[in-house]
Amino acid sequence: MIRFEQASVTYPGGVEAVKGLDLTIEPGEFVVIVGLSGAGKSTLIRAINGLVPLTSGRLEVNGVQVPELGRRELRDLRGDIGMIFQGFNLVDRTTVLRNVLMGRLHEVPLWRTLLARYTQSDIDIAARALARVEIIEKAWVRASDLSGGQRQRVGIARALAQEPSILLADEPVASLDPPTSHVVMRYLQQIGRELGITVIVNLHFLDLATAYADRIIGLRDGALVFDGPGSDCDAQVFEDIYGRSLTADDTMTKHAAL
Amino acid sequence: MTAPSATDPDAATLGRQAPTLPPKPGPSWFAIGGTIGAIVMTVVTARSVGFSFGDVWSNLGRPNSVIEGALNPDWGQIWSDRSRSAFLETLQLAVLGTVVGATLALPLALWTTRFGNPNFFLRTLVRSFNNVIRSIPDLLWALIFVTAVGIGALSGFLALVFFSLAVTTKLTSDTLDGIDMGPVEAANASGAGLNQMLRTAVVPQILPSYASFVLYNFELNLRASAVLGLVGAGGIGARIEFFRGRGQWEELWGLVFMFFLVVLIVERISVSLRRRLV
Amino acid sequence: MSTPVPTLPQKPVDRYKWFFTAGVVAVTLWSALGLDAKWSRLLEAPADLWTLGRLMFTNMEIADLPDLAGAMWESVSIAWMGTLIASVFAIPMSFLAAENLVGRPVAWVTRQVFNLLRAIPEVILALVFIPVFGLTPMAGVMAIGVGSIGTLGKLFYEIIEGIKDEPLEASDAVGASRLQRLRWGVLPQVSPELASLVLYRFEVNIRASAVLGVVGAGGIGGDLQQALLFKDFGTAGLGLIIIVVGTIAVDTVSGAVRRRIVSGPTSGRGKHAVRFAVTAPAS
Repeated sequence: MIRFEQASVTYPGGVEAVKGLDLTIEPGEFVVIVGLSGAGKSTLIRAINGLVPLTSGRLEVNGVQVPELGRRELRDLRGDIGMIFQGFNLVDRTTVLRNVLMGRLHEVPLWRTLLARYTQSDIDIAARALARVEIIEKAWVRASDLSGGQRQRVGIARALAQEPSILLADEPVASLDPPTSHVVMRYLQQIGRELGITVIVNLHFLDLATAYADRIIGLRDGALVFDGPGSDCDAQVFEDIYGRSLTADDTMTKHAAL
Repeated sequence: MTAPSATDPDAATLGRQAPTLPPKPGPSWFAIGGTIGAIVMTVVTARSVGFSFGDVWSNLGRPNSVIEGALNPDWGQIWSDRSRSAFLETLQLAVLGTVVGATLALPLALWTTRFGNPNFFLRTLVRSFNNVIRSIPDLLWALIFVTAVGIGALSGFLALVFFSLAVTTKLTSDTLDGIDMGPVEAANASGAGLNQMLRTAVVPQILPSYASFVLYNFELNLRASAVLGLVGAGGIGARIEFFRGRGQWEELWGLVFMFFLVVLIVERISVSLRRRLV
Repeated sequence: MSTPVPTLPQKPVDRYKWFFTAGVVAVTLWSALGLDAKWSRLLEAPADLWTLGRLMFTNMEIADLPDLAGAMWESVSIAWMGTLIASVFAIPMSFLAAENLVGRPVAWVTRQVFNLLRAIPEVILALVFIPVFGLTPMAGVMAIGVGSIGTLGKLFYEIIEGIKDEPLEASDAVGASRLQRLRWGVLPQVSPELASLVLYRFEVNIRASAVLGVVGAGGIGGDLQQALLFKDFGTAGLGLIIIVVGTIAVDTVSGAVRRRIVSGPTSGRGKHAVRFAVTAPAS
């Protein structure tokens, strides 16, 4: 379970990215966070695994208070939370398999990781993760030689290799074309349903959000402005979230038609 | 394929059977060759220089007068008459060597390019000349000129001219490979002669980089000019050699440390100038 | 038919350029007037050089070849071992000099160490190591090894600071420790460039090791100096040719290997542009 209580994040420059947020996410939920860029979506998601520290308030993740964690405990927590990035964040020069094995870093003894001597069971976990996103045949290819969609699937596999209880995805489809975006969203949905993992996704496009989310959370200027099931989410709600009427830029199908 | 379907939930949750990875490709011939080559090279060269960890350890652990001198340098040495004039001579050598060598380097670099030197044989000749002078180190130039012209600052100057010529020509011609050919075409289209074209279409493009290379070359020359004197080509090196011959390590280190302090300061200035240029 | 000439806007004054030019001219004049060189001899220099060249290259004896080639090989060996030693120290140190990996104070201190080592020429370092190791090639190896730590470290940390941050964020997000982050987030991004820079430094160090013999630290430089000193010009000429040929040969082989290392096995597809030119000056 993830619970924010009066959580705020202010960056050193004085920008208040998240203000007094109260939010609870139950295990196994598939949550999509929508909002304009700069609304605090990335900050919220990065607060959950402690990549961005809270400046005030409380945040409980899987029974621990994130702001109180030391270096070591923070790493333990992160080991249990998979993360998927907008820019994939792969090491381009190394193979797909090694990128996925990065997901095992927290579980494997240091000397094994330094010498790249992973055990068969770690390799099996990586293989299973790769098979789930149907890219296992590319295991020995260098990450830089893949297409954008394939690279994001490797990104998902890396997160899955952590065998996480929570999966965070920060704008996972922003760098992809519409058909590929749907493929990636379907993988995330499947993973949530079949493995019972909590999935939290940041999205910009509204139609993608309503198509996949069990629950939508709307952020505007760092504050919660909507929280409800995808079916409750009509044009009026989105105008509240975006502070203006919808444009073609806000939906993927219309955006792609431009 | 025996691998279960990727969408089969059991495969991932129960871990009944791991899907099989495709066979791992072997390392490339390049990787194998490179690794073997590096190991062989290391073993053979270690033997050639008589390398042994034990020797390094025991030799470095033994107290010696050189290190003692370095720990207790004579800071005032640089103010003694002879050291001071040798020191100034070093600076002057570095400046003159850079100015003359780097100036000559510009045409030499232009002549290595296809557009600056259309004649294949002349171009090859200039390129070979550049390669040869580039392979001769600073101190070797000094040895050659001391033998040919005699002991003194003139030999040091000539050595630095050739050393600078080699360095700046190389760096500049590498930059010339990457210039925008548009202006060259435009200049040729307007009926410009070869040298007019180079002056108006090429030189302005590379001038900032060239100026930065000259400054960089000056930094190298400052260091090089300190050792020229070891073979009699003028500058502070003669004093260093003098102190070394007499085992006066305190004086030697005082001089060396002060000199390289100046080098560091000049280098800082030069680096900040270079940043503004490019 | 005459139209009035339109007036151009006033030419802007580039103060920086002006100061720069004035400074260069002033320093050059000071040097030219102050340097106590026998300028009159400059006119005779080409003739002297020609004479020396004739003496060197017309009296070569093939019998000297094995000795000189062996001495050149010793120089190559000194350069290789020296570069290796320098790399062993420079790689870990460069991680401590990269501002994207450690804090500014640590990076600053490490960089000052690099600057100091970089400032001192190998020949001077050889003077230090000769009393310690005697007149042996090991003195040369140590001189090259210590001297190259500074330059290699500087080149290394510049590469490390150029890496992408995203894989580092990914390693943090999976809960990797500091060392794991270095091993899997940083090293795969930089290792081809680091290997290539080591080779590049090896090429540079051959030039340095070829002259170390002048002070007695092994290699072909000593033979050449002795030959010139005792007016054995034929031997000197052959030695010079061997240095030039040997250096160019090593440059060629090493350069080809470096290009292959940096471009990687998929170079044919042109996807990985060479990220830096090793010939660029280390600022």
